[in-house]
Amino acid sequence: MELSFPSELGYEKVAREAVAAFARRLGCDRERVEDLKTALGEACINAIEHGNGRAPGLRVDVSCIGADDHLEIEVHDQGLKRYESSGTIASIDLKLSGLAPLRGMGLMMIAQLVDEAGFTESVDGRNHFRLVLYFRKI
Amino acid sequence: MLEDELSVSTRERGGVAIIDLVGDVTTFAEEKINSAYTQVTGQGAKHVLLNFRQNDYINSAGIAILIGIVTEVNRNNQKLGVSGLSQHFQKIFRMVGLAQYADIYQDEDEAIKGFAAAAT
Amino acid sequence: MASPNSDNEPVERIIELRLPSRLGYEKVAMDTASSLARRMGFGGDRVEALRTAIAEAVTNAIEHGNEHDSDMRVLVMLTARPDELVVSVADQGRKQLDQQQTTPTPRIEDAFTKQDKGGWGIWLIRELMDEVEFTTAPSGGNQVRMVIHLER
Repeated sequence: MELSFPSELGYEKVAREAVAAFARRLGCDRERVEDLKTALGEACINAIEHGNGRAPGLRVDVSCIGADDHLEIEVHDQGLKRYESSGTIASIDLKLSGLAPLRGMGLMMIAQLVDEAGFTESVDGRNHFRLVLYFRKI
Repeated sequence: MLEDELSVSTRERGGVAIIDLVGDVTTFAEEKINSAYTQVTGQGAKHVLLNFRQNDYINSAGIAILIGIVTEVNRNNQKLGVSGLSQHFQKIFRMVGLAQYADIYQDEDEAIKGFAAAAT
Repeated sequence: MASPNSDNEPVERIIELRLPSRLGYEKVAMDTASSLARRMGFGGDRVEALRTAIAEAVTNAIEHGNEHDSDMRVLVMLTARPDELVVSVADQGRKQLDQQQTTPTPRIEDAFTKQDKGGWGIWLIRELMDEVEFTTAPSGGNQVRMVIHLER
């Protein structure tokens, strides 16, 4: 299925519900649906804030493909900015001592919640972030 | 159009300042959560409980706000607890390291008992 | 897709969903629409009504418009405006909905004799939504446009 929504904070909530319903339809177990909702929400926020640079009037596209035991989701923004992970993950202690920004946990959370996550190659200048989730924890 | 969905209120029970959080905890929650915390701290609270209500949506921006609260709690020598989180979000809190700085209780009653026990 | 008014302030937000033509996927449309409606401020009753209406519309699109052809999509478009939510459901089929079927109120007695025991879905949509319109979609298939008003 495909979903397209306005690139504005708040609308990721609708995307979360749509993708969760899709996952439930495919037989995904409840804990994994929660993991997916949180990971997808973070990926959409990255698209809105970073990929689309918070610019008004843009959109985020989410495409979902279901298989027997897993699903694949891609989150596409309109590529105002190419963004990749910074590479270093700041611990909470670094954040508490003021040595790292408080934000920036989204990609770390995604990586821990789904089975595969990362940017796919872009030929069109847009960012494409791919998530793979197996219905039962592997 | 879909922004503000959080209501924050404060109350006191058993020597604990309770901050009730009903709704979504996202970047839009910053002012409300920070002012509730400032308010109870101003009233002299030593034990602070963030009482969630099985919230459906807590994202990394919301968690960043809570880490900011922890910074202040450490500075003010207070003790912080959280209650009412779903199993999923308890997992998330542990994942980001918040469990090291805030005790995770299942519900408010357990939290009140926990604060009392730790104080003795 | 924001539509600016003269003050250059956007007045509507559009969410588009393309679903496979397989029964069960109406649930995705229902959950998506109700999530949006709740956040717009619609009360529980109206959200339930919307869920039922959209379920009927999507089911019709899957069964009649697209005739369960899994290559075809059901296109759901949700337009959020300050005081209303517009939902359009379109199929990509070639089986045109007879306009005459969209207006009469079904009688249960007729259902005992008719071949097609359905027809209640359309009636239900009209009962539950504030405005309903059956037209042809830009893609050529059937389209139902439903509006629910936000009472403040």
